[in-house]
Amino acid sequence: MDVIHNLSLGISVALSVQNLLYALAGCIIGTLIGVLPGIGPVATIAMLLPITFHLPPTAALIMLAGIYYGAQYGGSTTSILVNLPGEASSVVTCIDGYQMARRGRAGAALSISAVGSFFAGTIGTIVIVLFATPLTQMAQKFGPADYCSLMVLGLMASIVLASGSVLKAIAMVLLGLLFGLVGTDVNTGAQRFTFEIAELSDGIDFAPIAMGLFGITEIILNFERRLQRSGAVKVGSLWPTMDEVKRAWPAVLRGTGLGSILGVLPGGGPTLGAFSAYMLEKKISRDPSAFGKGAVEGVAGPESANNAAAQTSFIPMLTLGIPSNAVMALMVGAMIIQGIQPGPEVMTKNAELFWGMVASMWIGNCMLVIINLPLIGIWVKLLTVPYRFLAPAILLFCCIGAYSLQSSSFHIMQVAAFGVLGYIFARLGCEGAPFLLGLVLGPQLEEYFRRAMLLSRGDPLVFIQRPISLSLLLAAAALLILIILPSLRQARNEAFQEEET
Amino acid sequence: MSRLLSKDFLAGLMFVGFGAGALSFARHLPVGTAMRMGPGYIPHALAYLLLVFGFVIAAIALIYPDETFEGPRWKPLGAVTIAIVCFAFLFEAAGMFPALVALVLIASWGGGEFNTLEVTANIAILTVLCVVVFKFGLGMNVSIVAGIG
Repeated sequence: MDVIHNLSLGISVALSVQNLLYALAGCIIGTLIGVLPGIGPVATIAMLLPITFHLPPTAALIMLAGIYYGAQYGGSTTSILVNLPGEASSVVTCIDGYQMARRGRAGAALSISAVGSFFAGTIGTIVIVLFATPLTQMAQKFGPADYCSLMVLGLMASIVLASGSVLKAIAMVLLGLLFGLVGTDVNTGAQRFTFEIAELSDGIDFAPIAMGLFGITEIILNFERRLQRSGAVKVGSLWPTMDEVKRAWPAVLRGTGLGSILGVLPGGGPTLGAFSAYMLEKKISRDPSAFGKGAVEGVAGPESANNAAAQTSFIPMLTLGIPSNAVMALMVGAMIIQGIQPGPEVMTKNAELFWGMVASMWIGNCMLVIINLPLIGIWVKLLTVPYRFLAPAILLFCCIGAYSLQSSSFHIMQVAAFGVLGYIFARLGCEGAPFLLGLVLGPQLEEYFRRAMLLSRGDPLVFIQRPISLSLLLAAAALLILIILPSLRQARNEAFQEEET
Repeated sequence: MSRLLSKDFLAGLMFVGFGAGALSFARHLPVGTAMRMGPGYIPHALAYLLLVFGFVIAAIALIYPDETFEGPRWKPLGAVTIAIVCFAFLFEAAGMFPALVALVLIASWGGGEFNTLEVTANIAILTVLCVVVFKFGLGMNVSIVAGIG
């Protein structure tokens, strides 16, 4: 009965006029971002972090979550209509979605992907409701050593997901952890890496780093590439034929199941879900040769999977406080800005926030179907906005946003500095996501590590003597071995190559 | 020569650089013992790990050459960075409007395809948007042009 009680609490929070408005705003901004060229959900959420600073915590997180899955929906639209994925998780949708569009079935592809996403989003939300309570109860038994190991597992997972060299990804995590140390040491009050700059004594603010590394770097790289967009194709009728429906719904079910599972895993998320669902559909299809030529299953499966995974990837973040990907790392950052320490206590101490957010996810998914299907014409028009108008606007909002954090120009300078650093990372083939995860988890990891070592009187064996900690570390080791194994490494490289093309 | 200019080798050097830098700036921080860690314990540990990983990455890159490093294109990088820095200096000193004009002009120049009419239109739209959203909407305490309002 707890579930029903919690849900009714959540729905009452989510249905308040204010939260409904923020959910709607998030969904619209997210869709806009998904559709607009050259800016992904990570950069957007980073950019809007300062604005959410002025909102109440629940409204802030509801809006950010809306942006996240709004971008999923918007990304599918561009994949189908112009063969350009708005973000990584809709890369596979391009393959068959664009082919459907070229055969005049764009409308059908859009509605199947929207309805599939909605169904998957609903199931994903139910999964969160069912699993959140038991997971949180389990997490409350965690000691400091267990938390440490859990974070190690989370960081390891971010390494698996990074493309390119494993060693470089590990080094990026370390570098992120190091940047997370900047500021005053909580235990002793010592100044670390502050260079006698007063603004740094509270640590480097998270938002300017994320904006610089993701937003600014993306703009510079897009300028270099002279980003261009081709014209959109005609949408046509939104109604799928009976045959298309018959072929699509089993794929939606399979995609939802697969996506829900992969989303929960640390390091999992929409991109992994979408790729796996596409491979699954191709494998079990009676006619694999139809894939790549506009197979409905190739749209329905991955689209459902990425949305289901987008929802369930909230589970480790909400229950354990461990982000499983860059977007979730930003969510953790948003919570910390709001003064909420992410972790198992969120559910008990901030029950309204927790359940309100979960309930608003479903409401947000409803809104998105409406935003995306009847209003598709507006988004198609937006596809034609040239990047040379957008880029200065994005830059401007980053700068004002950074300034508004603490009304200080120093934060704007930080954005510039991390933009340059992000550019160097990109040129050297080093991924930003592991860095960001290290940065977010750094202070907590140090805190728990020091506490665990104090409790064990300096004996590092504590990490393998506690069963929870041991199993988490073993899981982390298993992940590491998996990526080093040659066969898996090859599959991983292939997946990322597809993503890049 | 190309081996020394591969992405991985330079990345390795970068990590070594960060490790060495961290080590030198953390040298005054007491390390403490494993049981009672000082503020320098974790910084030192991370710095040494970065040094090790940096050297290994660089060494591997020398043996198995990776993609060659592509030199930066200075115009977009420089323009975007300078645009933000100018904005930072002008925002408080001169007000929102001059800062905005400088940022949009420099950034648009950096993106190539500079069309005076388009850029002017963009500035006009963004000025109205910013004044409405930030000044009136969010009630930000900043003048549009310093000294005037």
